[in-house]
Amino acid sequence: MDTAEALDADISDLHDRIATLRAHRANLTSILLSQPHLPTRLEQRPVLHERNRRNAVKLVQKQSNRNLENIYRACAGVTAYKVKDPDPCAIDDGNVLGVRIEVSVGGRFVETYHVLFNRPNTAHKTMLKIHKHTIPPCIPLQPLANRWLPTAKKSAEEPKEQNLVKFGRHLRKELVSWHLRLNTLEKLRKDAKVEDKPAGPDESNIEPAVGTVLNAFVSDDEDSEEEDPLSEAVGPLRISTLDADAAVREITITWSNGRVGIFKVTKDGEVDKAVVRTKEGAREASLVSKALGRIEGLLERLEA
Amino acid sequence: MAPKAKTTVPDCKNVPHSHRLPTTHREVQRTFTKLSRQSLVSLAHQWLAKKNRDFCRPYLLGDRDADEEDEDEQYTPAQSYEELQEIYKELAARKGGKREIQDRILEGDWRTGVSMYQLATAEIQYLLDHPNSLRWTAKRLARIPNAKSVSLDMEVTNDSEHLPRFQAQTFMANLARELTPLMKAHYLLIKIKTMPMTILRVYIHDSPYSTEASLAVDNGNVDSARAVFFIWPNGSPFVYSSIANHFGQVISDDGRHLRDIVQQAIPKAFSRPSARYQLASTNFTTKSLDALLAYRGPGKSNAASGGWSIFQDHSFSQNALDFITSQRGDGHEKNRMGRDNATGTAKAGPGRPKRTLEDKETSEAKRRREVAAGRFGSSAQPNDGQGLERVEVRIDDPFPPVPDSSEQADDAETSNISAQPANHNRRGRPSMLDRSQDEIEELEGGDSWVPDVRVVFQGSHVFAGVRQLVEQGVVDGENMPGWMTGEAGVTIGAVKEGRIRTKSGQIPGV
Repeated sequence: MDTAEALDADISDLHDRIATLRAHRANLTSILLSQPHLPTRLEQRPVLHERNRRNAVKLVQKQSNRNLENIYRACAGVTAYKVKDPDPCAIDDGNVLGVRIEVSVGGRFVETYHVLFNRPNTAHKTMLKIHKHTIPPCIPLQPLANRWLPTAKKSAEEPKEQNLVKFGRHLRKELVSWHLRLNTLEKLRKDAKVEDKPAGPDESNIEPAVGTVLNAFVSDDEDSEEEDPLSEAVGPLRISTLDADAAVREITITWSNGRVGIFKVTKDGEVDKAVVRTKEGAREASLVSKALGRIEGLLERLEA
Repeated sequence: MAPKAKTTVPDCKNVPHSHRLPTTHREVQRTFTKLSRQSLVSLAHQWLAKKNRDFCRPYLLGDRDADEEDEDEQYTPAQSYEELQEIYKELAARKGGKREIQDRILEGDWRTGVSMYQLATAEIQYLLDHPNSLRWTAKRLARIPNAKSVSLDMEVTNDSEHLPRFQAQTFMANLARELTPLMKAHYLLIKIKTMPMTILRVYIHDSPYSTEASLAVDNGNVDSARAVFFIWPNGSPFVYSSIANHFGQVISDDGRHLRDIVQQAIPKAFSRPSARYQLASTNFTTKSLDALLAYRGPGKSNAASGGWSIFQDHSFSQNALDFITSQRGDGHEKNRMGRDNATGTAKAGPGRPKRTLEDKETSEAKRRREVAAGRFGSSAQPNDGQGLERVEVRIDDPFPPVPDSSEQADDAETSNISAQPANHNRRGRPSMLDRSQDEIEELEGGDSWVPDVRVVFQGSHVFAGVRQLVEQGVVDGENMPGWMTGEAGVTIGAVKEGRIRTKSGQIPGV
C-alpha cells in the first residue's frame, strides 16, 4: 500500500521534473537559435550532411522571424497581418487583413484581440469592412466602426473616408481601459476581502445558492411582518459583496448593515456618479461626495 | 375589519414569492419529480438559508395546532430551522434514493405548500442541471435610431454607453408596469454564479385574483405552459427566450402567446427616455445554453466561430513575449499552414523517405484531417458541448446552367409556376426562410432560375458532424463553402454566392 503510494508520488515527481526540464530545454533552444551570428557560422562551417545544415538554417530562420514579430508586437501594440480565408466563396478571393491589438496590464501581455477586415466593395478596393473579430460585446465596436470605418451601402456610392489607424487607436484605448478597470476591480475585491467566486464546481452543500436573487424585494411590501436579520447587523461593519457589470462601468457595493451603494465609473476609471442608500432607503450624501474620484482609492475614501 | 388576506377581489398586484401552491399541484409534482437527489438537498438548504426564510416557510412544530395532532403522520415537524438544516445536511452526507428527499420535502417539511419562490428556484435548478432541456431563441436588444440625436448615438466618449443598462430593480418595476394590466405573474430574477448570465422566470397566473387560493385552482388545461424563461448574458445586448415546457410536451399556441406578451414588454422595460430599444432577431435557435453563450455570449467567440476560432483561443498568435518556437510552436505552425494555404499539400517530410503503400493511405487521411483543422480550427469538436442541433439554410443561387440551352429555358418557364404552390402546402406555420415579397420580386427581375432549395442539417452536433465528414473524405474540405463550418454563426439563413446573407453595415456578433 505504502510502496504503491510512494511509487505514484515518485512518478508524478518525475513527470514534473520532465516537464520542467523540457521547458528549460525549449528555453535554451530559443536562446541558442537567437544567437546573432549563427546563420553566418552555419554557412561557413563544414557539415557532415548538407541536409542537417538546411534544417538548422530553417530553424534559425523560424526563430528569428518569431523574434522579429514578437518585438514588433510588443512595441507597437497594434499590428497588422494578412490572412487567407479558406472559404472558396469568400469575398475578394479570401484576402483578409487582420489587425491585432495587444493588451498589457501590470507588465504582462494579458490578452490579444483580433479584428479581421475584408474588402467587399469591388469598385473601391480600399474600403474595409469588419469580417470577423474577437472583441467582446461590451466594447463599443459598432459605434467605433460607424465613426471611423463608414461603408457605402451601394457600390456606386462615393466612399466616405475611412481611417483605419484612428479606428485601431480608439479600439485599443477601449480595450486597454476595460482591462485596467477589470484589474482594479479585482484589486478592490481583494482589498474588501470579499470572498471570490467559488473556484470550480464546488459541490459542498454549505453554501448551495446557485446565484443571487435580484428581485427579493418584490414581496417585501406584501409581507407585513418583516423579520430583520439582526444577526447580520451586529459585528463590525464590512463589505459583504462587491460586484460590477461586465464592462466595469457600474460597481455595486453592499455592506453588512444593508447599506447599498452604486457607483458609476467612466471609461478611464473615474467614479463620476454615486448613490448610497441605507437599508431604510435614506440617501447618504456624505458617502456620495466621498466616493467621487479615482476608482483605485474608492474603498479608502469610503472608509475615511 | 376583515383581515386583508381573506378578501378576494380582483386586483392589480403581482404574485408574491411567499404565496404557496399545494404540494399536489401539477406544476409542483412535475418539477420535483424531475430533480435529482443532490439538487433537491441543495435546494432545501437554499430555502432554509436566513435570507430566504420569508419566502419558503416550512412546517415547523410551532405551526401545529394542539388539537390537530395526527397519529399517522410520516414526518414529525422539526422544532426549528436549525434542526431542519441539520437534517438535510445529514441526508446530503448519506446515500439513498431521491424519492426519500422528494417525499420529505413535499409531504413533510413543506406539507402546507410550496411557495412560488421555491417552485421558481427548483425549475431554475433543473435548468442549470440540464442546460439542454429547453429550446432557446437568441434575440438582440437593438437601439431604435433616434432621428434627432443620430450623431450623439454614434459618439464614443469617456462615459458613453452602447449597451442597454440593466438595473434589476428598475427593470422589474418597468416590466411589472407593462405586464400587470395584461396578466398576473410571479417573477424571479436570479443572477447565476456558475455561468455569466441572469435568468428571469415569469410564471403566468391566469386569474383576476392574486391570492393563494386562486393559485391553487388548476385551470384544467393540461398542455398550457405556465412559465417562460429569459436569459441575459452579462455584458452583451442579447436576450435568450424560451417556454418552459415539460419533456415531450408540444408548446401550445397559448404558451407561445404568453411568451410573446412578455417578450414584447422586455424592450419597453429596458427603454428609457431618449434610448428606446427593440428586439431584433439574430437567426439563432438552439437547445444548448453553452452554444448560446459561445455564439451570442459575452465573450470573444461571437464573431469568430468556425475556422476563425483560432483567433479567439491563443493558437493563432502566441503571447507577445513567448519566444519559444520549438515545442508547442510546431502545433500552431501546422494549424496556420492548413489555414494559409487551404490546398495544404501534405509535406512529404525529408526525415521519412521510406513510405509503404499503407502509409500513403494514412497520409491521405492525415491530409484530410489537416484540411479539416484548417477549416474548422479548434471548433466543432464532438464533446465541446456547443452543439447546434438544427441548421437550416435556403440556397439563393441561380440554378447552374444546363449544357442544353433550350431545355434550360423550358425549365425556367415551369419552375415559376410550380414553386409558388409548393411553398404554401409545406406546413401550417410560415417558416422564417420563406422568401419575402421583396426577395421574390428581386429574383423575378433576374433572368436565371432560382429554385427554392432548402438544406437542413440535423443532429446532436451539426458542425462536428460536418467536420467528421470532411475528415472521412465524404465532404470535400477544400471546396466546401464557409457556412458549412459554422463560421456564419447562425442556425437559419439564406445563402447567396456561397455566403450567408447578412445585413450590410452590421458587424457580426455585437
